[in-house]
Parts: sequence; C-alpha cells; structure tokens
Amino acid sequence: MAKNEVAVVGVGLSKHVSKRRDVNIAELVWEAVSACYEDAGLKPKDVDAFATGNMPAFEGVNLPEEWGAGHWGAYNKPLLRITTGGTTGGSVAHGGYYLVGSGLFDTVMCIAFEKQSDGNSTMGLNTVALADAAAQLQLGVDPGFIASFGGGAVGVAVYQASSYMKSSGCTTHHLDKVSALCRNNAALNPYSHLKQPGLTPEEVAKTTLLQYPIRFGHVCPATDGACAMLFTTGEKARKLTDKPAYVLSCASASDEAALVGISGSGTTNVDPCEQESCKIAAARAYEIAGIKDPRNEIDLAEPYSPFAHQLLMFYERLLLCDEGEAPSILDSGSMNLDGELPVCPSGGVISTNAIGASAMERVAECALQIMGKCGERQVKKDVHKAVAHGWGGAVNLNVVAVLSDTPRR
Amino acid sequence: MEYKNETIAIEGSWNLASWEWKFESIALIRKTFEAMKNERKLMANKCPGCGRVYFLPKPYCLCLSIPDEWVEIKDTATVTTYTFTGAWAYEGIADDEVSGTPQIFAGVVFDGSDTKTVTMLEGIEPEKVHVGMRVKLKWPEEVAGGLTDLAHCVPLEE
Amino acid sequence: MDKEVAIIAYAQLPYEADNNMSREVMVLKATRAAIEAAGLKREDLDTVITANNDYNDGRTISNMRLVEPAGSWHKNESKVEMDGTFGVLYALTRILSGDHDIALVVGESQASVYGGILPGIMMLDPTFDRQRWLLNEVSAAALQASAYMAAAGVSAEQIAAVAAKNLDNAALNPFALRSLKGADAKKVLASRPLYSPITELMTAPRCDGACAVVMASAKAAAKVEKPVWIKGVGFSHDSYVTERSLDSMGSLKLAADACYRQAGIEDPASQIDLAEVHECFAHEELMAYEALGFCEPLQGGVFFDSGATRLDGKLPVNASGGALGANAEYATGLARIIEAAMQIRGDAGRHQVKGVKTAVAHGQTGICAQENIVYVLGGE
Repeated sequence: MAKNEVAVVGVGLSKHVSKRRDVNIAELVWEAVSACYEDAGLKPKDVDAFATGNMPAFEGVNLPEEWGAGHWGAYNKPLLRITTGGTTGGSVAHGGYYLVGSGLFDTVMCIAFEKQSDGNSTMGLNTVALADAAAQLQLGVDPGFIASFGGGAVGVAVYQASSYMKSSGCTTHHLDKVSALCRNNAALNPYSHLKQPGLTPEEVAKTTLLQYPIRFGHVCPATDGACAMLFTTGEKARKLTDKPAYVLSCASASDEAALVGISGSGTTNVDPCEQESCKIAAARAYEIAGIKDPRNEIDLAEPYSPFAHQLLMFYERLLLCDEGEAPSILDSGSMNLDGELPVCPSGGVISTNAIGASAMERVAECALQIMGKCGERQVKKDVHKAVAHGWGGAVNLNVVAVLSDTPRR
Repeated sequence: MEYKNETIAIEGSWNLASWEWKFESIALIRKTFEAMKNERKLMANKCPGCGRVYFLPKPYCLCLSIPDEWVEIKDTATVTTYTFTGAWAYEGIADDEVSGTPQIFAGVVFDGSDTKTVTMLEGIEPEKVHVGMRVKLKWPEEVAGGLTDLAHCVPLEE
Repeated sequence: MDKEVAIIAYAQLPYEADNNMSREVMVLKATRAAIEAAGLKREDLDTVITANNDYNDGRTISNMRLVEPAGSWHKNESKVEMDGTFGVLYALTRILSGDHDIALVVGESQASVYGGILPGIMMLDPTFDRQRWLLNEVSAAALQASAYMAAAGVSAEQIAAVAAKNLDNAALNPFALRSLKGADAKKVLASRPLYSPITELMTAPRCDGACAVVMASAKAAAKVEKPVWIKGVGFSHDSYVTERSLDSMGSLKLAADACYRQAGIEDPASQIDLAEVHECFAHEELMAYEALGFCEPLQGGVFFDSGATRLDGKLPVNASGGALGANAEYATGLARIIEAAMQIRGDAGRHQVKGVKTAVAHGQTGICAQENIVYVLGGE
C-alpha cells in the first residue's frame, strides 16, 4: 500500500501530426508540458521532481533531456529518465506513481515524447534488431531468407494476428471494425493524428493488403507528439481540483525474448498471442487496486494496439473477458463510446503513435475520461475505474495501470 | 498553440557501424549446425538449473543458469503457432492480392526441446494445419550445416 | 529515512577492457552472484531495474534482452537510462511505495562494444554543438577543469595528485581495471595528454563491467545479517553544459543538501566516515568535496592537501580507487554504492577503512556531471 495516495491533476498533449518541422524536440515537449501546467493550474516551481523518457534511436539524440529539460522547468530539480521502448510512456507514468507513492516527492511532472520525423523511423526500428542481424550474418544466414520468415513489412504482428484469429475466432471483418471504431473516435480527439470521421469497415477492407491478415488500414501511423502528466498526492489533488483521477496501481511484467532474433526462435514463449506477461501484470495491478472482478468493475479500457487485432487480444489479456470473447463483445457494440465498456475512446495507438509517448497517452486518456475532460469523445457512462496498458520490446514487455475517481481504500 | 512558420532542417547522421557486439550464441549455434552436417543430429543445450532444453542452443536461461549440457533432440515436433503468407485460404481475399507462392510458416517445438523454432510446412493444405499437429523435419538431401536445413517440416504420419 | 530500505547484498564482476562475454551473460553473472549473496532465489525478487543506455549497448530497447539474464522473467521490470545509482533510487521508491519488498538493480555497459566517444557526442544539442565537433565528454571536462582551477586556485599537480591517490588505492581493489601502486602526481602528469589540463591517468578508463545490488524493505531485511540502510537520498538535474558555470557542481550541492536533510546530517565533514565519489575525471573529486560539504566552497585543493581524503585520513574518499580505477558506464556509480556498503559491513578487504559507520555514495550521468545523486548509507 502506497504511503501516499497518488492522483493525476493535469494532462497536456502536443499537436500530433506526422512531421512537426516547425519545432525541435524541446519545443515540441514544451507544448505538452505547458498545456499540462495550465490544466493543473500549477507552475514549474510547484514541481518537486520530473520523470521523462522516449526511444532515443528515433531522434538520434542520446539523453535528450540533457539539453532539452531547461525548456520544461527541470533544471536544478530531481529528474529520472525511464526508457523501455514501446512501453516507455507507460513506464514513465509508473515512475510518477512510484515517486509520489514513495512519499519522497509530492508533485511529479511526467513527460514522454517522440519526434520520429527527426530521424529515420525504419532506422530507428532497425536498431532494435541490428545486433541480431549482425549475428545472423556471422552464421552465414542469407538476410533474404530471414526476411521471408520475419513477416514482411509488419513484422511479428502477422504471426500474432493469425495466431490470435485462430484461437479466438476473430475474422478479418473484426479487424476492419476495430480500425473503423478507433479512427472514428480519433476524429473526435483534437490531439489524434489519423482522423477518419465516418470511416466504415468496408472501406478499411479495401485498403492494401500488407501481409495476411494485416491491411494498411489495420496499422498505426508514425507520429510526432508529446504527452505530459502531473502526478501529486491525494491530499494536494483534492485542493487543486474537484475531480482528480487517482492512480490505484501500476504493474508490469516481461516475457522471454527470442534468441538473437532468429525468426523468433529459441524462446520458450512459443505463441506470440499468448502474452502471459500481460495477464500477470493485469492480475497484479487489479490485486493492488483491490479490484476483484475486473469485468464488472472496470468501466473503460485503453489497450495499446498499434495493430487492429491487438485491441481485441489485449482486451482479453487484460482479463476483461474470457479468451476468445472479445470479437463478439466488439460486435455487441459494448466497446463503442456509448457502450458498456468503451475501448480506446482516444482513437488508440492505431490512430496516433508517437512511440515513446503512446503508452503514457493511454494513461492520460483514462485520467481525462475520469476527470470528464474529453469533450466530444467523452464516453456516455460514468467512468469510475479505467485500465491503461502498454506493450513493447521484443513482443515481450507489458505495463498496466489502473485509475479511479476514488482513492484506494 | 499556433504553429510557428520558420523551419530549418539540419542534416546529421549517427554512425551505426561502430559497435562490436559480442555473442556466445554464434559459437553455440555453429556447433549445432556442425552436428547437423556431420552426424545428421539435432543437438540442443540443456539447463542444469531448471532442465529446460533450448533449441537453437541459448547461452543463458531464464532461471539464471547457463545451459551447458549438450543433448540430442528428435527431429519430430509439435506445431504451436502458424501463419500463411498466401491469403487464398481465407474468406474475402481476392487472389490477385496474394503475391508469390503461398507458404505456411509455423512455430514448432521439437520433441525433447522446450523452445519454439520457426519453419515452413510442406505437404499439407493450409486449412488443415492446426495447433498441436505433429510434424517432422524434412532433412535436405545434402545437409549444408545451416539454418536453411531447418527450413521445412512435413506432417508426421502416426 | 530511518531503517525503511536496506541494501542486503551486492556483486561486482571484475572490470576488464574486453571481458569476452556477451552483455547478456555478463548481466546474468552479476545478477546471480548478487542473488546468491543475498541468500535468495530468483523467485524471491519482486522488481528488477536495469540501468543502461541504448547508445552504449548499440541496441534500441536494450533492456528487452535482459529479461532472462537480469532475472526479471514474469517480474515487474523497468529500465532507468541513467547511472545505476538512479536505478537504486527507482527501486527505492518502488519499495517505499509498499508495492514491492525485494528489488534487484543491475548496471552494465561494455566499452569494448561501443568504442568510446560516440554515446557522449550524441548527448550534445543536435542543432548546434554536435555539428561543430568541438565538444565531447573529455573536451567539456577539460573546460570544467580549467574553470575550476581558475576559480579555486587549484593546480594541475593537485589534480594529478588526486588521480595518484585513487590509482594507488585501486591497487588494493581486486576488481579494479587500472591501478598504479605508489603513483605520484609526476607520473600522472607525464601520461598521455588529452585536452589540457587533462591527461590519460586523470580520466576514468571506460571498460566492460556489470554490478548488481539487492535491496529490501525493513520487513524483508529483518532476518538479514548486516543490512546497510539507506538513510537519505537526493538528486538533481543541472543545466546543459554550455548554459551553466562549470567552476562548481551546483546540482551535486542541491542533491547533497536534500540527502543530508533526509539523513539528519548537519556537519558532513565530521559525521561522514567515508565517501565513494563518481569522479569521471580527477578534478571532479575536488569539486565534489566542496559540493558534498566536506570543506568550504573553493577549498577543495586545500582540503585534499590536508590528507583528509587519503586511505588513512579522517574522511577517506574513493578507498576503492573510484571511477579512476574502473569505469563501466552506468555501473560506475552503482559500484560506489557497493563499495560504500562493503566498507560499512567491514567486507572491503585490503582497502577496508576502520570504523566506517556512515558513508556517502555519489553517482552521476551526463556531460560534466550534469545529473547527480547522493546517498547516505549506514549500518545498524
């Protein structure tokens, strides 16, 4: 049980588009940070510590806060840099939770960002596997041969998608529906990247097939963007706002990574859609939060889903239904903005993916929905408890946070 | 916040060629490849701590022991996951969208090992592939001693 | 903080120029040794923090392949992209929050893999400083040294003497990579000049290495023999290297002040028995004396000349040889915590200082010690 109750009192997001050529990294981040200060009614002097992170290979800058943090009010303050790849934003939010929860700090500014247009995204992604590719060349393996196993343009996601589809009964039509749902939600979100109001599943089904079962319309864009959140103690939060969003718990878990990346071989983690670590993290997060029946107690979910099938797959792995049930829940309309358990009201990662920021934006959306600050995309039902998720690494890292409108008892 | 107008692009690069990574796995896997070539055997390494058997051999185990015992595993295996490159077997996909020869990729666990290896399945219709099905490595006529030797499995008649 | 979180075990691998093992196996060895030293099993760990850097490792998301070697399979794992001392801070908050009882922190890097200078260059402002190729970690440190020498009236000989002290101490440390028994200032000054006034023997030698600590809540540490308690911690992020005065360590002072407040230290010079300082360059140790309150501002050279920080002095600093003995980046500061804990436990072997009850450990990240963290550690 945390020493301090932890609450979110402010959220700030930058404009999210594919190329922000009008600002540099520090300025892009400042858009989010300044909006966050404004949202919370706080000033840099009120902040006791900072947590920050991104995926540094994408911009080609090592420890970007070294020269950028002056822009954010962090000089002469404690600052913790947390980077975990695709889960970075979620991990930074977890950092905020622990820094406040420990009792060492009262108010913590959490910042996550990515300015992918500064670098070369393919190069950024290649550096994930570059060392392994070098090893494979050492083994005399033909790179073309490896590529043929790798799943082409969308990588391991195709294995995961078809594996998930086979085990759940999810069809390609469900994938189209997920994309349409998210892109329509994104159209209502001023901070989303791909807005496609009125997009229908039929239109998604007509986009280019990348590799079965994944089409162009099932895949996230590359985005420039930043997200900032202010975490503080429950006591301070109640003085600042009538409706803070409490962070009840955070948990993460990791699966085994594949051996030197050879076709995903050499791992005891034999099924890419199993995501055991997501279930472990979710179960632990619910346990700490005192949630016994997540299916009925959780009002809203923001699973991290850069690919359409992952929204359904992680809905299941977050223990919100039985395995294989998510496609029919999607069909029932329950995941819509006016549904029983709205999913990705923000539009999700499939609509906006500023990589390092994405997993924090899941937490931010949960907080904003609880605080009732979502404008047009505010879900119909009252949100008491929400779950935010992040996924990354070599298909092996998962982070989960549970937020609520009431503090932990 | 309004967009600012002026933008200046500055070229730069970071030299990705300057790292020299170190691997134990390369030597281990070469040993396995040699055994395939010379003795037509699949050799895996076994963890002394938890008994997990790694194929391809792995230099470290998740139980924090170093797998250092060589064991022979069988060339028969069980399918744990699979995907098709060709989409023709599925509903709603036009044939003209499928490029190249349809292939079945499968994650298989060779008998006697605990880890996944990705191979291609031959000699079976895609719609008949299922998790749990039994397959056997299709040894090439001439074993080259490399990953290509492990490229194909065929259904096992039992 | 009084007896809330303890360091209960630790392990270092010998620091080597090229340790002939993969990063993963190196981390596994450090992890296993630390867990065994704690008398625990992997299953007992609640959370694991690795401290490393994508640019040093040459791998994006460099923690993802450390899941198995760092013992974090199916565990609550995260990565701090700062020195391991900041990893300890994160683990500390994870334990203090009440969600975790036992944490493992691993710091690692391999200079034989990343070469040397590139990760530091990539830290520079990409729009200006990086394009000019004037600044790097060593040239920036040389500017820092010159500024400090002018402000404090310190000579190159005094800086060389600090290096000589640490290299002499390192001769007693079995893990050290570089040592020079009986070294003197003359020998240090005669070593290869880099950027004046810095010579090779004044710089911490980048190398391969990993080290790990196991931390526990008071509850989990109850049955542990000789726990080393974290009594205070403070950390701070300084301005970018071209935007601050380089003649003092402002953020280290802020960190130390916060740490001492927490630990109830009013007069560090008399209350601290020993310090392990993360000096990437010899002159930074003199600057740290001042920031850590061991002497008055600008009196670092005078304080050093008094002999107080020698192995037999009243406040030995870097009895282990410090970072000048071995510098496996991202593990270097963590090794300072380990060395300070060893001294408190009386386990430091040949470089053991008598009667160490309260010790300071310091870690840093960034160019010219931009980010600093300070711990006060104590025994029973």
